Amino acid sequence: MDYKAQLKLQALLDGELPDGEASAATKWVARDREAASLLEELRSTRGALAGFEADVRLPESREFFWSKVEREIQRLETPAPKPARVSYFTLVRRFLVPASAVAVVLIAGLMLIPPAGSTGRTVAAEIETALADSGVFTYRDYSAGATLVWLSYPAEDEAAEIDEMGTFD
Amino acid sequence: MAAFEELVARHRDRIYARAYSMMRNEEEAVDLSQEAWVKGWQRLAQFHGESSFGTWMTRIIINLCLDQLRKHKRQRAESIEAMDEESGGVERQMPVVTVNPTAGLERGELRQRIDQALGQLSYEHRTSLVLHEFEEMEYREIAKTMGCSIGTVMSRLFYARRKLAALLADLKNRDSV
Repeated sequence: MDYKAQLKLQALLDGELPDGEASAATKWVARDREAASLLEELRSTRGALAGFEADVRLPESREFFWSKVEREIQRLETPAPKPARVSYFTLVRRFLVPASAVAVVLIAGLMLIPPAGSTGRTVAAEIETALADSGVFTYRDYSAGATLVWLSYPAEDEAAEIDEMGTFD
Repeated sequence: MAAFEELVARHRDRIYARAYSMMRNEEEAVDLSQEAWVKGWQRLAQFHGESSFGTWMTRIIINLCLDQLRKHKRQRAESIEAMDEESGGVERQMPVVTVNPTAGLERGELRQRIDQALGQLSYEHRTSLVLHEFEEMEYREIAKTMGCSIGTVMSRLFYARRKLAALLADLKNRDSV
């Protein structure tokens, strides 16, 4: 008996065959002993299972089981606690702290970036200072990121004054 | 809530029995039953009485069990039964059990043997059998529930029945030796 025929036999047992096919299958079973014994085996297995679940009981008392279900329902239905209200100052501070950090990083970055047109060679530039004391000069090397401040001591003006007063020596 | 408690009390054994038949593990069956009742409460508004409340709840537990069994399956290698099914099916060559292996057994003993035999089936075969025999679902419904074709359901059901018959006969033979 091929597999298709075996499955047809099972479908006959389960009432899944259309009427026409069912009567043809019944006639076939009546004249085929192999088919008849297989059908009998399937039927007896089905019979053995009948009523099998009747004695299965939940192994927990009604009260205990319900208390677990109820607790879980209540836990899920209780709304999650709302987050504490945040003051205006805290919100501003939350924004200002990272903003300040970003600003510091940007400024530091800008200071390190060589100006446009810089070739990367060591170029020293003299910056004229607005200080009253003309004895102070500032040099900045952009490629090396170094700044040199030149202080002449005593200051040239001061030295001249001292000379005039004749007290330096 | 008191009315729902009454419904739980009335149907809890049926829901547990379904979970136990499918899971074969008492602890897991209890946990899944509890989860099913919580889900039942949450979805109560969706119950419009197209079927009985017990049937509606049974669908919930079946789906929960199937999800759990699929998770188990992903976590372990394919079972021997599943390989048999894919490799051509040993059930086709099994000799027919001519003597009823459960004849003359007492109810408790019969239950124990079936329990033992069901435990040896893969979850796909067991579930097909449980849904067909205990839930009285048609092939089409089982296919829809399990997410497979009707042909697969027929094949799984056939294998499960033949294997069960062989296991029960084996248990009977061992007893008579």
